[in-house]
Amino acid sequence: MDVLKDIFTIHLVLSALRLASPIALVALGETFSERVGIINVGVEGTAVLGALISALVAYFTGSPWIALIAAPIAGGLAGGLHALWCIRFRANHVVSGIGINILVAGLALFITSSVWGWRGTSTYSDTINTWYITGAALVIIIVSQIFLFRTKWGLRLRVVGEKPEAADTAGINVHRTRYIYTILNGVLCGLAGAFFFNSVGRFTSGMVGGRGFIGIAAMVIGNYTPVGALGAALLFGFIDALQMRLQSFIPSQFSIMLPYLLTVLVLAFFIRRANVPAALGKHYVKQ
Amino acid sequence: MLKRSTLLREMGITLLSITLAFGIGAFIIWAAGFSVSAVFINLWKGAFGGKLAIGQTLTKATPIIFTSLSFLIAFRCGLFNIGAEGQMYIGAMVAAVVGAHLHLPIVLHVVACLAAGGLAGAFWGWIPGYLKAQRGVNEFVSTMMLSYVAIGFSDYLVAPRGPLHDDKYWANQTVRIAATAALPRILKPTQVSMALAVAIFFALLVWYYLFRTPAGYELRSVGLSPPAAEYGGIRIKRKLILALSLAGLLAGLAGSGEVLGTHFRFIGRFSPGYGWDGIAGGLIARAHPIGAIFAALLMGALRAGGMQVQRSGAAPGDIAAVLQGLVIFFIIAPTLVRTLIRWRRR
Repeated sequence: MDVLKDIFTIHLVLSALRLASPIALVALGETFSERVGIINVGVEGTAVLGALISALVAYFTGSPWIALIAAPIAGGLAGGLHALWCIRFRANHVVSGIGINILVAGLALFITSSVWGWRGTSTYSDTINTWYITGAALVIIIVSQIFLFRTKWGLRLRVVGEKPEAADTAGINVHRTRYIYTILNGVLCGLAGAFFFNSVGRFTSGMVGGRGFIGIAAMVIGNYTPVGALGAALLFGFIDALQMRLQSFIPSQFSIMLPYLLTVLVLAFFIRRANVPAALGKHYVKQ
Repeated sequence: MLKRSTLLREMGITLLSITLAFGIGAFIIWAAGFSVSAVFINLWKGAFGGKLAIGQTLTKATPIIFTSLSFLIAFRCGLFNIGAEGQMYIGAMVAAVVGAHLHLPIVLHVVACLAAGGLAGAFWGWIPGYLKAQRGVNEFVSTMMLSYVAIGFSDYLVAPRGPLHDDKYWANQTVRIAATAALPRILKPTQVSMALAVAIFFALLVWYYLFRTPAGYELRSVGLSPPAAEYGGIRIKRKLILALSLAGLLAGLAGSGEVLGTHFRFIGRFSPGYGWDGIAGGLIARAHPIGAIFAALLMGALRAGGMQVQRSGAAPGDIAAVLQGLVIFFIIAPTLVRTLIRWRRR
């Protein structure tokens, strides 16, 4: 029992909340983009980009606050690129997202080697307290829930993902709406990337470690709602926090596996798929 | 099958995409303050400049042929297998165990190792296939997650004090496989082995399966239109499970080939990302099994060339990974290159 007392403490709850925030941000972003019909599996790479740009800007300006602004901007650019590819060039959404992940992975290694001389890692810089990002994430999620279901803009964006033809007829610009929310997805993922950078103080190429993909899982389990995404993210954040505690009790290779294994199990047992947007992943061609 | 003119146009667009990607890559190299010509000369030298270089390219291309096939066979069924990396590790581990601890005559031992490694990989692909068909679990996320699990598990097995660790060395690796289990080297002194021939054989086999058998036709029709396939009497769930199992099998063979032909043992974290290269290879090949051979050669050449760029000090070798990412980006936007061609004609 003493072992359990050592594991389950108030610190565990707090670190669960903290670790949930980047997953929640990614899940929220993906909720927005999938609600307008754009699948973006490039969220993993976008978060890596956010962390990388944070490290670069913090290194060159010396200011972690400027880095905090730069990361979401870089993420937004990646989101815009994905939107351009999916909408203008009609690329398969999943394939374009994979492209972002692979390109960013390559860029991360190349840039770290070029700037710091170390493959895949940066030097340490000043950081901000990650609780700022966690707090901001909570506020953004509650505002998003209201925005999505209680405002006319929320209704419009949901129509675009559900029935783009109807949205078009009603005078909503389908493509513009899709661009806006796919870019917003990128911005939120960039912020998640900034969280990863600030929680360590430097960039390492494996630091996001699949948490972007876990964010997609959280969006699915949260059933395409911001508050649902937060709930699922809290579960994954808790698993992540628990994993770190368990490292002193079981071989670390096993505890590191835990979040990934549990993500698959959670997806297998807790799935509800009521709110999948009807036009998800489909290209819209104006008649 | 594609008509000859369509095939030629597709190949033209692919080559143009690669050229465009290298153009942007040159700009990045220049912007980062490196010599563009030095990078490209070393890239070429490392990939094709002499027997040793070609050996490197072919060695690296071999597992990528398998992982490209792994990605594309699932893709043809409308699925995304992102977990080839983990399936490859599972296959490699099992092949290494069978290779070291089973005593069989020559040839038979190799076949047993390949079969065991392939089946182990197939099992690791079957899990997400089953979850997709029965529980609707997004295979993109599950294959990825299971990949992390597989790699973590292999780390545990070969770490010091792990059950498969070779106690004679500090390194995280298993004992050496028996001589009877080794695939012969075919381009000495380089590491190119018969695994390359096996890979090409499987590329032909996958092509035959997909385009010349009723079962392959059914698999592709699920990818093209699930409702139409179901209407045609195809049991979709079975096909989904089969496609991901076959994808796992091919990735498992990639790992087995690495153990039997390149390293002669399982080495922890032996892959520099061959599973990811397979996604790139499958996409660049536009999901065509024969194209996968050439796409894998391109990926292998980039890896081998990147190493030479690193050695020469012209730039970080990871510029090759950037080039790879750029190539994918242009390949996947079919209307982009066409738009550019139209602009020029205007």
